[in-house]
Amino acid sequence: MVFRDVSWIKERTNGWDAIGVISYALIFTFAESIIIFGVVTFLGFFTPGQWKVDKRITFLSLLFLLTSLWAIIAQLLFLWNISLPVFAIRFIAHSAHPLRILYAGVLVIVIPSILLPVILFMKSDKAVLFMKDLIERLTFLSMFYLFFDVVGGIIVIFRNLA
Amino acid sequence: MKKQFSRRDFLKLAGTLPLGLAGQSLLKTLGVSPALQGKPKNVIVVVFDAFSAYDISIYGYERKTTPNIARLASRAIIYHNHYAGGNFTTPGTASLLTGVLPWTHRAINLNGTVLDSFAARNLFSAFPDYYRIAYTHNGIASTLLDQFSKYIDELIPKETFYLESYYDLFISNLFKKDGDISAVSWARNIQVDENGSAYSLYLSHFYEYLQEKKLENIKPLFPRGLPTYDLVHPFLLETAIDKIGKRLPDIPKPFLGYFHFMPPHSPYRTPKEFVNVFQGDNLKFIEKPVNILAKKITENLPEYRREYDEYILYCDKEFGKLYNYLESSGLLENTWLIPTSDHGEMFERRIVAHGSNVLYQHVIRTPLMIFEPGRKAGMDIDTRTSAIDILPTLTYLTGHTIPDWGEGVVLPPFATENPDPNRSLYTVQAIKNDQYSPLTQASIILVKEGYKLHYYFGYPQLSGEGYMRLFDIQSDPEETVDLYSLKKGTASELLYELKQKLVEVDKPYV
Repeated sequence: MVFRDVSWIKERTNGWDAIGVISYALIFTFAESIIIFGVVTFLGFFTPGQWKVDKRITFLSLLFLLTSLWAIIAQLLFLWNISLPVFAIRFIAHSAHPLRILYAGVLVIVIPSILLPVILFMKSDKAVLFMKDLIERLTFLSMFYLFFDVVGGIIVIFRNLA
Repeated sequence: MKKQFSRRDFLKLAGTLPLGLAGQSLLKTLGVSPALQGKPKNVIVVVFDAFSAYDISIYGYERKTTPNIARLASRAIIYHNHYAGGNFTTPGTASLLTGVLPWTHRAINLNGTVLDSFAARNLFSAFPDYYRIAYTHNGIASTLLDQFSKYIDELIPKETFYLESYYDLFISNLFKKDGDISAVSWARNIQVDENGSAYSLYLSHFYEYLQEKKLENIKPLFPRGLPTYDLVHPFLLETAIDKIGKRLPDIPKPFLGYFHFMPPHSPYRTPKEFVNVFQGDNLKFIEKPVNILAKKITENLPEYRREYDEYILYCDKEFGKLYNYLESSGLLENTWLIPTSDHGEMFERRIVAHGSNVLYQHVIRTPLMIFEPGRKAGMDIDTRTSAIDILPTLTYLTGHTIPDWGEGVVLPPFATENPDPNRSLYTVQAIKNDQYSPLTQASIILVKEGYKLHYYFGYPQLSGEGYMRLFDIQSDPEETVDLYSLKKGTASELLYELKQKLVEVDKPYV
């Protein structure tokens, strides 16, 4: 998304401003990540006391990944202009409670997509190990993200001092 | 004891009457500024951004877009052939405020600033003994006002009259020095756009909820969405008009006010009362050929124009309100009021708004009116005038020294000399040209003796010498018949003059 805006900015001003837009975006999303981290950490207090630290972190990361996935899907649906089939829209529109049906439909899809991995996580040690492995790899990837955040931070400071 | 008014006194007084009646024209003949008559007058310049003269009823537009302005204009001096300095905010506003053309002040790039040498040469510095107050919704105009802020006693921050949230204000204060880019990035992060997307996955939804709550009472009043600057900052024009209208009676006198409002600049989001008022009026527009410099093909131009015209109704209503504030407070009796614009807007040749490189009449012919204190009758001025004339005129009218750096002239009917019929009038656009380099990619028009020469050069779409067009704007104000190859003598004469001028203005950068 940011690259689409970059070309828009570059066309109107210059490359330096376009870099500025990316840098601010990195800083704002970094701030958002910190807030989300705070929320997830807070949720950690509600996990069972007998769980080890590793399991707790893995479980919370799983929940975070699932919600992120749905947030990304929600945006992509808009970006790619994907909507319900016409017959479904017609059915919902003509029903007595269209909003309730819409919410119920969403819950039918979203709840299992969260519950199934969570149940799997609770029941199977293999699933826990798989998740732990995945989180470690993602953590390594996020190092790159942190590197770009630092670069973005320097650019933002420079732009505001110059 | 009260003195009796004798027959001799009466005769003495009667003898002075003809002199009093002849005073106005006598002072003009002697070259005495009207400022020397009575106490110092205030000055208010009101700019409505992207306001084309072609969409205003008093300039002959068929749609009644400006009923209030039309009513008030019967007391004003109306300039019927007024030209902006550029075709977008930066050069247009900078020319208005410095009294020189874009190739001189060099605020030619988007959100650019004038040369350092012009930071101290502007409308505000020309009124050192006045209380100077300024406001704009437009961040691009705000960049220029910031540059001139040393000469402005009260520069109202643009956010003051936005419908911003505390978080928006926090961000704009935190990154004040890089306001525009940080604001764009912040908006793209946090504000879910009409496509339902934002960079932020979580906070954008939270933010949207809070904004919805905050604006839930206002949004239904604007079915096309709230007016915004940069699609990011929502505002209501009436907020600025009400606050400014009520503030002016309280500020020190004499004052100079510069108020640059965003409407009718796009997005054209008029209030409910004006939505669709021009729908179905079957107004027919002249079909014009697609322009070679059109960036992208835009369809539905009449629809865009209708929405623009409906947005103008909002400006007109609010201008009427501002006028009433000034009249009821008694300020108008002692204030020069000058409504105008920084550039126009176009809906033709498959080009919409003003973001292209072309300089057709709709995008550069702007309104200019002067409400003179005490004037009861209107006056029409057909002489061709430019935005660069406003500064010398205002300094002259208020008894200040006319700046020697200015390139404009004192406007009729105030000028002591008759307007020069051979005056060469330019508008310049060079958005992609380097500020400190000779002009190698630009659009320039030269208006002289009823002809208008378009000269475009340096654009990737063009080859050879450039792209030229010649129109007889006296008989063809819509620029439909290109005379470039038919009137070769006139065309080459004007092109030669324009190129000579280019050599002259480029000299400091060669």
